[in-house]
Amino acid sequence: MTYTVTVEPTGEQIEVEEGQTILQAALRQGVWLPFACGHGTCATCKITVLDGDVDVGEASSFALMDSERDDGKVLACCATVESDVTIEADIDVDDDFEGLPVEDFTATVSKIVDLSPTIKGIHLSLDRAMSFQAGQYINLNVPGCDGARAFSIANPPSKGHEVELHVRHVIGGSATGYIHEQLKVGETLPLSGPYGQFFVRSSQPGNLIFIAGGSGLSSPQSMILDLLEKGDERQITLFQGARNQEELYNADLFTSLAEKHSNLSYIPALNDAEDDADWKGFKGFVHQAANTHFDNRFANHKAYLCGPPPMIDAAITALMQGRLFEKDIFMEKFITAADGADGQRSALFKKI
Amino acid sequence: MTATKKLNLKQKYQYLTRDMDWEPSYQKKSDIFPQEDFEGIKIVDWDGWEDPFRLTMDAYWKYQAEKEKKLYAIFDAFAQNNGHQNISDGRYVNSLKLFLSGVSPLEYAAFQGYAKVGRQFSGAGARVACQMQAIDELRHSQTQQHAMSHYNKHFNGLHDAPLMHDRVWFLSVPKSFFDDARSAGPFEFLTAISFSFEYVLTNLLFVPFMSGAAYNGDMATVTFGFSAQSDEARHMTLGLEIIKFLLEQHEDNVPIVQKWIDKWFWRGFRLLSLVSMMMDYMLPNKVMSWQEAWEVYYEQSGGALFKDLERYGIRPPKYQDVANAAKEHISHQLWSTFYQYGQATNFHTWIPKKEELDWLAEKYPNSFDKYYRPRFEHWDALQKKGERFYNPTLPQLCQVCQVPVLFTETDDPTAFSHRDTVYKEERYHFCSEACCEIFDNEPEKYIQAWLPVHQIYQGNCGGPDLPSVLSDYYHFNLGEDNLDFSGSPDEKRWNEIKGIKPLDKDDVA
Repeated sequence: MTYTVTVEPTGEQIEVEEGQTILQAALRQGVWLPFACGHGTCATCKITVLDGDVDVGEASSFALMDSERDDGKVLACCATVESDVTIEADIDVDDDFEGLPVEDFTATVSKIVDLSPTIKGIHLSLDRAMSFQAGQYINLNVPGCDGARAFSIANPPSKGHEVELHVRHVIGGSATGYIHEQLKVGETLPLSGPYGQFFVRSSQPGNLIFIAGGSGLSSPQSMILDLLEKGDERQITLFQGARNQEELYNADLFTSLAEKHSNLSYIPALNDAEDDADWKGFKGFVHQAANTHFDNRFANHKAYLCGPPPMIDAAITALMQGRLFEKDIFMEKFITAADGADGQRSALFKKI
Repeated sequence: MTATKKLNLKQKYQYLTRDMDWEPSYQKKSDIFPQEDFEGIKIVDWDGWEDPFRLTMDAYWKYQAEKEKKLYAIFDAFAQNNGHQNISDGRYVNSLKLFLSGVSPLEYAAFQGYAKVGRQFSGAGARVACQMQAIDELRHSQTQQHAMSHYNKHFNGLHDAPLMHDRVWFLSVPKSFFDDARSAGPFEFLTAISFSFEYVLTNLLFVPFMSGAAYNGDMATVTFGFSAQSDEARHMTLGLEIIKFLLEQHEDNVPIVQKWIDKWFWRGFRLLSLVSMMMDYMLPNKVMSWQEAWEVYYEQSGGALFKDLERYGIRPPKYQDVANAAKEHISHQLWSTFYQYGQATNFHTWIPKKEELDWLAEKYPNSFDKYYRPRFEHWDALQKKGERFYNPTLPQLCQVCQVPVLFTETDDPTAFSHRDTVYKEERYHFCSEACCEIFDNEPEKYIQAWLPVHQIYQGNCGGPDLPSVLSDYYHFNLGEDNLDFSGSPDEKRWNEIKGIKPLDKDDVA
């Protein structure tokens, strides 16, 4: 049995299975709630139940007082749900989050493009337009695979009737294997969306830095196309990392956009191009390109990161050493319950 | 503020803190907050402060009142049921004597410290956070004393802990630690206590004592531990917030904070050597060895923390490797010292029993049998001959940490680690390179240190002989509070409670 838990004040919804704690479910579904000990003694994860039936579980009587229990407080790390529930947590409302509803769509493959030897561009046309924020993702149901797979949307919201995905072939991966080897134009697939907290914080001032690696160009592509369409005047700098020229895709698109828009700079970086006499651009990792371009000073910017975990990690370190901190760095990331229990991670950062 | 259906916690807290603050009109800010600049810390924007715990006063009183009602109900039940009779062994109470005279007064010192710095920040968020923690610390000091007061009716040495904290030679180690922090500037105080102590090292103090209580049947102290844990989570959050705030506010803060982390890691490590001894020697039922605790709570958790802090340009504490290498030695060296000076302690000392020596050998395969067991066996043989060894010479104390110069060199566990330096034509002595360096950074501060041994020799602690210092100045009841556990009134009373006949001398240990 699965119930829906609505998290106020943001209105995000999570699915909680029977026996699963609210905290486990939230963290697994990418919804951050404050927590620390994870076993009912510190009370950091205290939340208020506004509606529905919740079992308080093993909360310590010193961490959750009787009077608080009477007032509908529970500890998210111990509490399980017995109906659909609405809770209020001590989290901030993101002014730029539009909270667009998640809906189910039927998608038909309209075009498959070879972007690079390992990445395909999949264009899907939807049965009706989807409202989403640039940077968000969809869940796609791929034949023969249990559960949906998440892919970021690469097209801007102005083209809501279609969805463009950049899919890297993961060796041994059943979903990306199917997409690369068997998917045909005209095939229909169910998908749902939009999801995620990765979008441009338009209400926050500051020039924009995008750092993308591999197929992680998809979200930044959507975000940048959207910003340019809307006539945003902030300076936008896109760093795109790839191994070599073959893997560097959509470079022509961004080169020509940069020629047309004086507020866009495009800086590709190849980390495996030592012997490529042809390559006149930056040689090295994408965070090194950012360091060089900004002379290790990133203060007063907003940075958006999308790519494989080692790239994200290196980029965060580079940005922080250049004086740009957690509140100014955004990325698509799933926090799992293991992050809290894993001794290898400290509690220093909330979301990076 | 945007209108929402009702205020969320953050907004409520904002009203309590920043929005009740005001800009002074007829006084200069620098006159109102005179301590904010002299440490060299640069704060660009106090609005960057993220409130670490959003708790309003009305909620605080309500929660804590209910918590304490529960806690005191358990203390009462513990007293009425003679809970002290259910502990694992009479020797266990000596850990409580150490805690009550060594740690509970620190909670009080922390209360004073937070109350003081809570006045010194021009940022209202930081002021309120410090004031809230001050109240927590005062409560902890009180509840700890109440948790342990029942033992004072049945065992010796617990009758005058605050006075002993101020005067007894080895209790100057914890006392001077907090005095050092409280006499520093407000930002150093928070780095020292909130970050280094409450965040980085707290699990090495709190967990051993509270788990030790649980393993040894001391329900009063265990319950105190549970009641304090929800407060400790807040304190740890403040520790993280202060360090992030300082590092993000200005890059010039980074080297200052690094120096404080280096200093306070080392000061904390030296202070915690008392815990190492408690874990390995004083708890009859062991929780884990000091070495294991250090590996879990410092090497692993601290390692992850300092890996994340690297992103701010902070490296691990300078003398971390020395502390890591010392994990196989410090508890044995310290207990050996307290055993020798057992005539001058407010708790009892003893030679570990055979199975305890075996446990130590198993937990410390590289060091115990080779360096320390022979020493205990030698003293044990003396004791059985009726020649229990007490060292009549007062030890040389370190000018900074005030621990006797008893620890050894990293590469040679048979050579004392001893450093000295000359400042204004006086020679000062230290237990380590790290303490010497702390002195060299601020010599004018540490030449004022009140070193108990020096004070005794100068005649400032009564006298003329050691027994009169111990009885008149330290308030020890000689022959009851001090000396070996074997043959003590505590032992006799415990044996009566348990109906144990006194052992023959040959069976002791």
